[in-house]
Amino acid sequence: MTTRTTTVRLPLEPALPVELAQELSQRVYFVSDTITGFSLVRSADGITAVDVDVDTETAVDPAGLARRINLMTANDLIGQRITEPKVVWRAAGSGPVTDAFDELVARGGAVEAGEGLIGVGEPVLSLMDHLDSLLRALVVEEFGAREYRYPTLVSADVLRRTGYFESFPQMVMSVSRLHGDIDSYRGFLDALADGGDLQEALSAHSGGFDHCLPPTMCFHTYHQFADGPLPAPSMVVTARGKSFRNESRYRRSLERLWDFTIREIVFLGTPEFVLDARGRLMERAYELVDALGLGGRCEVAGDPFFLNDTTAARAWSQRLLELKYELRLPLDGERDVSVGSFNYHEQFFGRSFGIGGAKGEPVFTGCAGFGLERFAYAFLCRHGLDPAHWPDAVRTAVAP
Amino acid sequence: MADAPTDEDKVLIRDFLDGHVHGVVVEDDEDLFASGLVNSLFAVQLVMWVERTYGLRASGEDLDFANFRSIDAIAGFVARKKALVGGDA
Repeated sequence: MTTRTTTVRLPLEPALPVELAQELSQRVYFVSDTITGFSLVRSADGITAVDVDVDTETAVDPAGLARRINLMTANDLIGQRITEPKVVWRAAGSGPVTDAFDELVARGGAVEAGEGLIGVGEPVLSLMDHLDSLLRALVVEEFGAREYRYPTLVSADVLRRTGYFESFPQMVMSVSRLHGDIDSYRGFLDALADGGDLQEALSAHSGGFDHCLPPTMCFHTYHQFADGPLPAPSMVVTARGKSFRNESRYRRSLERLWDFTIREIVFLGTPEFVLDARGRLMERAYELVDALGLGGRCEVAGDPFFLNDTTAARAWSQRLLELKYELRLPLDGERDVSVGSFNYHEQFFGRSFGIGGAKGEPVFTGCAGFGLERFAYAFLCRHGLDPAHWPDAVRTAVAP
Repeated sequence: MADAPTDEDKVLIRDFLDGHVHGVVVEDDEDLFASGLVNSLFAVQLVMWVERTYGLRASGEDLDFANFRSIDAIAGFVARKKALVGGDA
């Protein structure tokens, strides 16, 4: 079966400044899931259009797509101010960096299981565990962090309280189940009989959208301390767990997954405590990256807020106030990936979860998350798949 | 010195802040955002207020936290921008 696509030009009115290319690019696939590819059209006036590929097996609606993409640019992008890139740490690392993904797949170290879904074998598996153990030891030593292991599911009400639906509706992954009723189970099985369409049968007989897959671990922590005073003036909590985001067609190798593993560290307390702890963790992370023989940089970054009334203002105030930093490591001569982020939330979660600080005010929070698949992947792109070429300490710890 | 912050500017800035900090007395060198006096979305209002009040446009490297962190920082930023616009004034 061949899939036919056609390219449609969607004019942007008004044109966007070229500095917003990245902000635009990271939202195009979320404009409509009928878009299967795209490129930006640039002229002296800026970005004047987006050429999108659409599947001709679905009804192609250029006017409708143009309306949708302009709705997004008007809401999310036009009000943004462009801040200068700001790098706060940089290290060169040694030797060339070569994308290791294809070799990893060829050797069975990564197994493609579906869209944005990748299983990992050795050496990724042991390397992820080793990197996680280094991060865990580091935060226990530096902060006396308390560790928790949370359930994978998060209640939809908890996710609502985080504001995630309003900020990132495009990334939500919900969990449903069949209606809890014998007639429903029978109706479902009847619908499947004789090769009935599975999606139709599930849609007709499912209900109960009261759970979601967590997009990050820290939401569990705010819920844990919700509606009461924080048990101590300040706290540091760490957890490792599976996190899920609908990355749509932005999925790519181990670089961007729908389903991945985070080592998270959450800081709760006064603003001085949270900001100081975030800074200390960043310093420790740089030391770790150095010790692993990895080069990279840490820079001011932003989140892909989408379609909210305050998206543009939140996006550029986040960058202006340096609420988010990303630790980025190279994957080859050109591309890099964020293996960790260090975030300050002010009182956003303290307020929404009713967590009281020392004086009864909503507590201040911050968090850091390390993507373990990405971290291991960046390590392999730098040092290769053969443990003989790895730093001694890692080889000794990981060697099968 | 052409780009020294003026007391007049600091008074203007303080007047604007007073409407947003619920009567809290803000020191000239106090970090407005780290202390939780205002939230990050206020930064957008602050930048736009500075632009409107002084008839200037903040872009590129102007949009640095260091220029908006405190009353002193904002007054310093305004003074530098005025000096640029006014040439040798």
